[in-house]
Amino acid sequence: MNIICLVKFVPDVDNFVYDYDRNVLVRENVKMILNPDDAAALAFALKIKDKYPKTFIEVVSMAPKSIIGQLEDLLRRNVDKSTLISDKAFVGSDTYITSKILAKYLKAQTFDCILTGTHALDGDTSHVPAQLGELLSLAQLSNVLKIDESNFLNSIAIVDVDRERVISTYRVSLPAILSVQKESNYKLPHIKFKNLHLDVSANIHVVSNTDLSFDEKEVGIEGSLTKVSRTYPKKMEKKERIFVENDDEGIEVVYRFLKTKGYV
Amino acid sequence: MMMKVSKSYTGSSKQRGTYDMKKSLIFLDHENIQNSIDLLAVIDLMYGKGNSITYAACLNHSGDEAMGLVDHIVNIQDDRIENHDLINLTNSLEEMHLIHAFDSILIPATQTGRMLAPRLSMRLHVGLVADVTAIEHNNGELEMVRPAFSGKIMAGIVNKGRRPVMMSVRQNVFNFISAESKNTQRTEFYPTNIQPSTVQLLESKEKERSLDIRDSEILISGGGGVQDNFHCLDFLANELDAQVSASRRIVDSGLASRKIQVGQSGKTVSPRLYIALGIYGSLQHIEGLNNVENIISVNVDKDAPICSLSDIVVVGDAVEFIDQLVKKIKNNRNIETGEK
Ligand SMILES: Cc1cc2nc3c(=O)[nH]c(=O)nc-3n(C[C@H](O)[C@H](O)[C@H](O)COP(=O)(O)OP(=O)(O)OC[C@H]3O[C@@H](n4cnc5c(N)ncnc54)[C@H](O)[C@@H]3O)c2cc1C
Ligand SMILES: Nc1ncnc2c1ncn2[C@@H]1O[C@H](COP(=O)(O)O)[C@@H](O)[C@H]1O
Repeated sequence: MNIICLVKFVPDVDNFVYDYDRNVLVRENVKMILNPDDAAALAFALKIKDKYPKTFIEVVSMAPKSIIGQLEDLLRRNVDKSTLISDKAFVGSDTYITSKILAKYLKAQTFDCILTGTHALDGDTSHVPAQLGELLSLAQLSNVLKIDESNFLNSIAIVDVDRERVISTYRVSLPAILSVQKESNYKLPHIKFKNLHLDVSANIHVVSNTDLSFDEKEVGIEGSLTKVSRTYPKKMEKKERIFVENDDEGIEVVYRFLKTKGYV
Repeated sequence: MMMKVSKSYTGSSKQRGTYDMKKSLIFLDHENIQNSIDLLAVIDLMYGKGNSITYAACLNHSGDEAMGLVDHIVNIQDDRIENHDLINLTNSLEEMHLIHAFDSILIPATQTGRMLAPRLSMRLHVGLVADVTAIEHNNGELEMVRPAFSGKIMAGIVNKGRRPVMMSVRQNVFNFISAESKNTQRTEFYPTNIQPSTVQLLESKEKERSLDIRDSEILISGGGGVQDNFHCLDFLANELDAQVSASRRIVDSGLASRKIQVGQSGKTVSPRLYIALGIYGSLQHIEGLNNVENIISVNVDKDAPICSLSDIVVVGDAVEFIDQLVKKIKNNRNIETGEK
């Protein structure tokens, strides 16, 4: 069985430092981490491989070359192949273009299942998995909490999906795209001590635009269909406070607020 | 059809031909109809009130809730399409777009909507903005505002050129209120492009309620100000289907377990709503609040630091507040369900 895991490395947002005096996020020296949802998806794939050693796992990431070290660490955890899609022409791609690039690579591969995270900590759009579903003509499910291990090899995935109020179980024919969320509690194992310095460089494959041959105008910032026009820190303090008292009027204001926001 | 549409706009102060009216489609997710309808507020922000012809599409559902609020309700009718069948839903909406050529398509960012919007935008070859929370206009450009980096920063996004403009819209941010009642036309839509689905729903189960305060959407939190009546928080929590949390003061005085302590030496929580009852809001406590959408604080001292972070500050006794709000919620529920 071939599983492809799409992984993204994101800034460790929980350890962002916020400079309240200047109202900016201090982004220097922010560590890049494996997106938590993707780590959970990969952890599931490794679990399958533990159980069925013939499983072949490839991780695919579109990112700058600086994350090669992190991809190597995934290989040291028993991943078979790491593919880094990287080219100057791809810099600044929005989700639409990112999906087109990933899809072009994926179309040329053989796989039984694609695993992704549901959403990424940085952009947090959840676009890529569903867009890939469209481009590869595959079913795609987000918010996956659990995948049944016993059926997985028979081209069937029985998956539990978090749907806000309920948990739904679906039967999905493979190949399909399953997007796991970290609440699934699949945990990435540590690198075994003996593998800490394993030389895995032979299993890293870098794919550039020479291989994918996009017209440079259709990718990157130029090809993107959306553009970030500005960013600004969310100001914690900027709330327009309403002061009320514990009387009929005050309680009415609170109740209306709860009602409009959907809390009652 | 053209006639009818223009007719419903005669008498409006801003008379326009149907010619320069914008056509907008919203998708009604039957699992959150009210919030889907609230997306009409976004359309008004985009084009100005009354400058658009609004369509609401729903799948195997009447969409009656939108009667009088939109110009058209389009019912996609096909028993073969189930609610989780995003491929056929995409096929249907694409077909609908080919007929109407919408200027914008808005989809609520529900679990379904978040899978549908990217698929449809890819099909229509247009950009997509996720989880929009505000609309701005900058130098004549429409800017869609959304949180990024776990809500730590906001980003304004513009769409380059192609139509339709597509976005998914964060739930419970917008609220549509309309005084006028529209003459809504209803159309049945029978999609022609249906393919067999590879996804089958086996069963759905109510979620077990987690007892971890970090999983709670709403937290009723108590501090020194409710020390003598901490158990009263349960009454409000029951009404709002919320969990109770506490400041360190309460935990230190043995009234609650450390498991429900919010703050630097407790847990970091991200509920949508945090009701702070008799909490001062020390730095160590506030540190435990990460990405909380709304705060209501009840405090006898309106200058307590927690108050400066709150949407609403109730100046008064917290236990009295619980009492009154619980009564209010119960009363209104009875009115809604028609009981006495
Ligand atoms: C290293 C360190 C770590 C810490 N970690 C944490 C932590 O993780 N979590 C945490 O919470 N604290 C923590 N603290 C403690 C924190 O600094 C405060 O001491 C504590 O949170 C104060 O609790 P409080 O706001 O509930 O109570 P108080 O400071 O007693 O404030 C009570 C508030 O209630 C109001 N009030 C009084 N009576 C009423 C009434 N009848 N109705 C309505 N309002 C009323 C008062 O005006 C006041 O604002 C930490 C401290 C240190 C030094
Ligand atoms: N550049 C990328 N390279 C590989 N996978 C990606 C990339 N961007 C997004 N993904 C995958 O898509 C998921 C959702 O990301 P996003 O659409 O950015 O929220 C991630 O959890 C990844 O699995």
